[in-house]
Formats: sequence, C-alpha cells, structure tokens
Amino acid sequence: MACRGGGDHVKLPSPPLSSVNPGSFATCPTSFHNICMVSDFFYPNMGGVESHIYQLSQCLIQRGHKVIIVTHAYEDRKGIRYLTNGLKVYYLPLKVMYNQSTATTLFHSLPLLRYIFVRERVTVVHSHSSFSSLAHDALFHAKTMGLHTVFTDHSLFGFADVSSVLTNKLLTVSLCDTNHIICVSYTSKENTVLRAALNPEIVSVIPNAVDPTDFTPDPCKRHGSITIVVVSRLVYRKGIDLLCGIIPKLCQKYQNLNFIIGGEGPKRIILEEVREKYELHDRVRLLGALEHKDVRDVLVQGHIFLNTSLTEAFCMAIVEAASCGLQIVSTRVGGIPEVLPENLIVLCEPSVKSLCEGLEKTILQLNSGALPTPENIHNIVKTFYTWTNVAQRTEKVYELVLSEDVLSLNERLDRLISHCGSVTGHMFALLAVLNYLFLIFLRWIIPDSLIDIAVDATGPRGAWTHHYPHSEKRDDNEKVSETR
Amino acid sequence: MEDERIFSDICGGRLALQRRYYSSFCREFCVSCPRLSLRSLTSVTCTVWLVAYGLFTLCENSTILSAAIFITVLGLLGYLHFVKIDQETLLIIDSLGIQMTSSYASGKENTTFIEMDKVKDIVINEAIYMQKVIYYLCILLKDPREPQKISQVVPVFQSAKPRLDCLIEVYKSCQEVLAHQKATTTRS
Repeated sequence: MACRGGGDHVKLPSPPLSSVNPGSFATCPTSFHNICMVSDFFYPNMGGVESHIYQLSQCLIQRGHKVIIVTHAYEDRKGIRYLTNGLKVYYLPLKVMYNQSTATTLFHSLPLLRYIFVRERVTVVHSHSSFSSLAHDALFHAKTMGLHTVFTDHSLFGFADVSSVLTNKLLTVSLCDTNHIICVSYTSKENTVLRAALNPEIVSVIPNAVDPTDFTPDPCKRHGSITIVVVSRLVYRKGIDLLCGIIPKLCQKYQNLNFIIGGEGPKRIILEEVREKYELHDRVRLLGALEHKDVRDVLVQGHIFLNTSLTEAFCMAIVEAASCGLQIVSTRVGGIPEVLPENLIVLCEPSVKSLCEGLEKTILQLNSGALPTPENIHNIVKTFYTWTNVAQRTEKVYELVLSEDVLSLNERLDRLISHCGSVTGHMFALLAVLNYLFLIFLRWIIPDSLIDIAVDATGPRGAWTHHYPHSEKRDDNEKVSETR
Repeated sequence: MEDERIFSDICGGRLALQRRYYSSFCREFCVSCPRLSLRSLTSVTCTVWLVAYGLFTLCENSTILSAAIFITVLGLLGYLHFVKIDQETLLIIDSLGIQMTSSYASGKENTTFIEMDKVKDIVINEAIYMQKVIYYLCILLKDPREPQKISQVVPVFQSAKPRLDCLIEVYKSCQEVLAHQKATTTRS
C-alpha cells in the first residue's frame, strides 16, 4: 500500500536507539545487518537512483546497520572513499561501456567483488536499477557465494521492441533466483512481475520518499495574482489536451489568473497554439525542460498545483508540490487518491468541465482565505513519505530475506533451467557452473582466511562512534514529528 | 630491546617483523621476506631452458640456446638487483625524522629520509591493488605553504605488503613516537 498519512508508522518498531551504547545490544529488538548496495549509478553522477541509494543508506546507518556502496570509478574518483556518517564507497576500476554502465563479461568482476564481500562480511547484497550491469553481476556472484540478495527496480519497460525483449529475458534470468525484489510503485511491480515472469509474492512495493528539506514553502516568492503551476512532461499521458481546454476558459473568467507550465514534450506545440489563439502570452508562461533542482523554485511561485494525468502509478510531483505548500487539484486516476489525504487535494474527473469546477472551487477558497497556510501544508506532508519510513520497510525486507535459505547450486540450476526457457536456461546454468568453478579457483589462490577483515566505519562495531549522539538526537526529533 | 614476530603478507607468504627499541623515542621496524629459494630459481631456469631447447629443435639454430643462457643470467642479475627486496626498514627518531631503507637481494640499498617537520601523520589506508583491496601504511607529508593540507602520501613497506595485524603493530608504536614529538614541540 502506498502509505497514507502517518498511520502505519505506529506499528513499526521505533528506531534502535540502543545502538548508541553497546551494552544494551541484547535488549535491542532488531538485529543488525551488513548491507552492500551495488549499482553503476552513484554520485558524482546525478539522478534519482543515486539519491535513492544515498538517502536509504544514510537512514539505514542511523538505524545501526553497516552499509557499504560499490560502484565503478568515475574519472579520477577511484579507490575507497568515505561519505557523511562513515558511508564507505568502493569506486572499482571497471571499464565503462555505455551510458555510465559497465561492460559485463559476467566473470571479470568476481575477484574484486568476492574480496569486498568477504572483507566486509556482507550478509545482504542489495542491487539497484535494471540498467546497471554491475548490479546484475553482483547479484550473480552473490548467489554463487551463497549470500542473500535483494534487487530494487527503478524503471518501467515496454514489451514490444527487440531491445526490451532482450533486456526482459536478461532480467528474467537475473531475478529468477533472487530472494526478494523491491519496486517503487504498484505499476512498477506489475510491470516487473510481467517482464521477469516472477512470483508476485516475492515482490514488495516501497515508494520513493521526498526530502522535505528540499521542498520547503516560500510564500514571499508568490505574486499578487493567483498562479496555477503545472510541472510534468508535456505528453498525451499527462493530459495536456485537458490543460489546453482549461486555460482559455479560466483565463476569460478570472482576470488575475496566471499559469506557469514547466516541462517539455511533443504536446508543447498545442499549448503554444492555445496561447497564440487567445493572446495569453503575458499570462501563460512556458518554461521548457526543468532540472530537478530548479523544480522547487518554480513550485513556490504558485498557489495551486494542477495535475491532469490520465494514468499515473504513484505521482511524486503532487507530493513535492504539496510539500512546497501548494493546494493540489488533480484527476482521480490510478493510485493518486491514495497519495494524499482529502483535505490537501481536490480530486476531479478527467474532463475539462470537472477540472474547471475543481479549480474554481479552489480559487474561491483561496480568495476567502479558507485554505491552510503553506507552512501548515508543508508540516503535514513532510511526515508522509520520509526516508526513515522507507528505511524501516526496507529493513523488514532484509529480515524476511535473511530468514529464507539461499538456493544451493543444484536448486539454482534447476530454477534457471525450468524458469528461463530451455536455451537461455541451459546457457546461464552453464555460466553459473563456470562462475562457481572460478570461485573455487579464487578460493584456492587466496583463501578467505588470508583476506583482512575490514575495520567497520558504520554499524554496531562502527569506528565512527562519535556520530551517534548526533543521530540519536535526530531520531528523537523524527519520533516527535511522527506522533504529532 | 629487540624482538621478532612472524606475520604474513597479503598473499600468505611468511614475513618477519623485527622491532628494535634503541630508546623510547627512537625505534626501528624491519620487515624481512624469505630469501630467494633454490627451488623457484631452478624451476624458472629449467622452464626457460626447456622452452629454448624446444625452439632449437624446431628451427635448429644454436643462437637460441646461447640467447637463453644470456637471458637467464641477465634476468637473474636484474631481478636480484632491481626487483627482489629482502628487507625493508623504517627508522623513526622523534626529534629528527623518519628513514626508510629497502635492501635488495644483491646488497643494493635504497634510503629515503623525511624530516620530522615535514611529517604530518602516519596512517593506515585502504587501496584497490590488482584484484585485491589491501591495507597499507603511509606517511602523510605537509604542504610547505599550507600546513593543514597534505602534499604527498609516501607508502611504507611497499614491496613486502604485510597484513593488517602487522601494520597495526607498527602504526601504534609510530603514533607513540609522534605523540611525544608533538608534545615536545608545543611545549618549546
């Protein structure tokens, strides 16, 4: 369930504050894990997956787990680095092939990854993004070494063209023996289950979170007249045709109404036509493509956020807008009704008439001052999709995974052959056997006992202990805001 | 005071760490690898000569055999003189500095000396080396213009590559000396 409000915070165990003093380990309800996040995409590269991995790791560290990140080297950034709170990042010297994704031979990364998994005593390998070949390699090697595996899928795929048929086949092979899969929304879950022919029971949904400190309201940026903001890709799915019907109607009715539209896409041309036809150049601003960091500065200029999507799995944009203190008007489609409580969102049918009525009602409330202030909206919304919540739910997935058995080589081969079609299945079963033989060879060359156990920076035996009093304080604050 | 302990290097080879405490603030650490064994020398020589003899039977040219003899002799000399390091020594004197000596199997010695006022700290660091992730001990040098910044990192025991337990031993002793040195400079 895409969680609604703080309802399910209450059931979850409180953050393990006892991790601060080692004396109380026995009383602590949760056990601690050594988690290794693997993805080709990490900072200094920028994007959604990167920030997801970083924020999730930081929250898991604060909850007392040991987290390390493995990625490939970015230009001169190679070797081992430490980030905030002792988050250790391995930038491995692997060749980048295409679009920041490494080349894969399925074998060449085994020696290094095995060395890291052994020296860091990793128990759970958590791979991110289906575009990352390092993530798939790590899953393959982790399964060979008998470690527990979790995979997070961040993207949606098609089924029709040749490239997606091939990637879907690879995904089937990669995920058929993975312990657990996490998707960021229900549409994504459906998509992944279909693409990779998975058992839906091993797929969990954990929505992304918004960093509320990035999306803060700033009412003095607003102008005197009422401004409606739309931020979306300008494509058919986002209901831009509806928007084209709404703009002239409302602009004729209200003389002090402005529109700001951010985003780029094939439907931009019809918006420009509307602007031309009704001579609304001074009242409808088209901003074009926006960087993620600029979105907040656009959002705070408006009073009302309009979302006209025709289909939507989990709308992050309306959460971001609400966090900036805007009143939301949206279509009632897909998972949108679950995202925000009723007093923060006006839901309409996906038609011009219904959306105009919704907007007029909101404008009326705005003029009469009946709406909550931006600060109030921000304070309510910021408790909904927090990284702490995401971390708690991911932690539960880890616990579930650790209670399961890892498939032995026999079972793994059976699974590959029965699950992935006879040709692909046999091919990858052979590769799995070769990988296992390679692992035995490596264990013979350098036995595990010769690998130095790394000094922990984070986790229960973390060397960076002086950070814990600070995190304890923050946990307390979060608890206060949750109970509010 | 002098003692010797046995550790291993990152590939599992035997290493001996000798510690000599001349006074409480002048210490010497000496890491020595086993000498070149007769067995490995014979096996390498035999392989080169067998290959050469194989080639000789193919093309029946006796220069190959003489070349093989030259290659083994020169290779052995070069290996002993430039590659094989038998012993690496770290001498730390609190008021003077740090001296690193590496002695080659041929008897050649290579010495580097770092003045104490250039030394910022001695730390254990991690690095990706070949297909391994290893710990190594290194000396951080101060930037002469900005004393807060590090201008250079000098690795210690570069050829022996001892494991973490050995490095911690050396690290702790060095830190004692450095701490004493810092205390005396701030007092004066």
